[in-house]
Amino acid sequence: MMKEKTLRYEALVRALHSDIYRYAYWLTNDKSTAEDIVQETFLRAWRALDSLQDEKAAKSWLITILRRENARRFERKQFDLVDVEDVSVSGSDDQDSHAEVRQVRKAMSKLAPDYREPLMLQIIFGFSGDEIAQQLELNKNTVMTRLFRARSQLKEVLSPPALQRGFQSG
Amino acid sequence: MDELEFRRRIYANPADDDDALYTAAQSDADNEAFWKDIKSLDDKLRNAANVPVPDDLANKLILNTSLVEFNQHKRRNRWYIGLAASVAFTCGIALTAWQQQHTELDQAALTHMYYAEHEQPVGNARITPQLVNAKLAQFGAELDPSIGKIASINYCLLDTIRSLHMIIETPQGRMSVFLVPDNSQVAPNEFSDPVYKGTSYALQKTNVLVIGEKSADLPAFTSQLQQRLKLST
Repeated sequence: MMKEKTLRYEALVRALHSDIYRYAYWLTNDKSTAEDIVQETFLRAWRALDSLQDEKAAKSWLITILRRENARRFERKQFDLVDVEDVSVSGSDDQDSHAEVRQVRKAMSKLAPDYREPLMLQIIFGFSGDEIAQQLELNKNTVMTRLFRARSQLKEVLSPPALQRGFQSG
Repeated sequence: MDELEFRRRIYANPADDDDALYTAAQSDADNEAFWKDIKSLDDKLRNAANVPVPDDLANKLILNTSLVEFNQHKRRNRWYIGLAASVAFTCGIALTAWQQQHTELDQAALTHMYYAEHEQPVGNARITPQLVNAKLAQFGAELDPSIGKIASINYCLLDTIRSLHMIIETPQGRMSVFLVPDNSQVAPNEFSDPVYKGTSYALQKTNVLVIGEKSADLPAFTSQLQQRLKLST
């Protein structure tokens, strides 16, 4: 019984840890904070594993746990003097990547969290509008509006300046 | 579908495959170019979102969970360990009491011989006759240095009795002498095991056990010892 649970848990970790980590990274904009909350998430997942009946639901189940962990972190941070938003900016410790990738990451990290979060559910997990709405407990129109705003802002920030000038003058 | 609606929907989901979007793209070159543009933006976003995952994260997560769980489990079971410890403690006392009744001094001394083989004098401190007699004085005895070279002199526990163990190099071989300050426990005059043989005699209230290898001339050494190991006055 215990062995079966262990096997199930290890399969869950191996299948989903990368995407969950990436999602945590974009939620927190910080590598080590992301790793911490991913660790906490999978620990809670282990304790509640018996309540996970449907393997297909595992992704959204883990995301729910992760978001709760992140919210807890904010509650704790209220008592600290450090402003979470100042801790680190995405891309600053990203020296290996190509300059363009760094630029895109920086732009994504500057998106408002309300816009960034549905966008990441869409591009990391491939969630549909309905699934994102369910995950974030929003209505679908709100989700679609946020996705639209997220991409249009990124498009604006990332368009080559020459083209923007051309567009403005033409 | 007007251009604004088209753009809103493409921005919201560039992978949307609704027929209405395809129709709008086919009928308008600007729409088509815009869609293509946003799809390429999305490729970049997807690529950038793929931040590197820390090395070996999966194993770290599994390890962390098992460690935390193990420690919790341990804490949860601490009362049980406490109980087990107290049972073990009680058994230890009972066993010691039982041993005090049943273990023979000679057997304890023979057992000690095997430990003592590996027991080297600590720090090469020189063993002087003064040191030997200072230790013997605690047992109310003194030894004539002419008995031989004292290779080591150490306190030891024989069947829970604090005893003194001397190893003496003699022409008759390497001899062990145990002084056991309790004559309530009597050792037999002769005893042996496959490697050693021994003899014992009483020096007033102290038991003296002499043990040597099977080939050693034990009686000759014992008689010399009886002349040289005396009660201190």
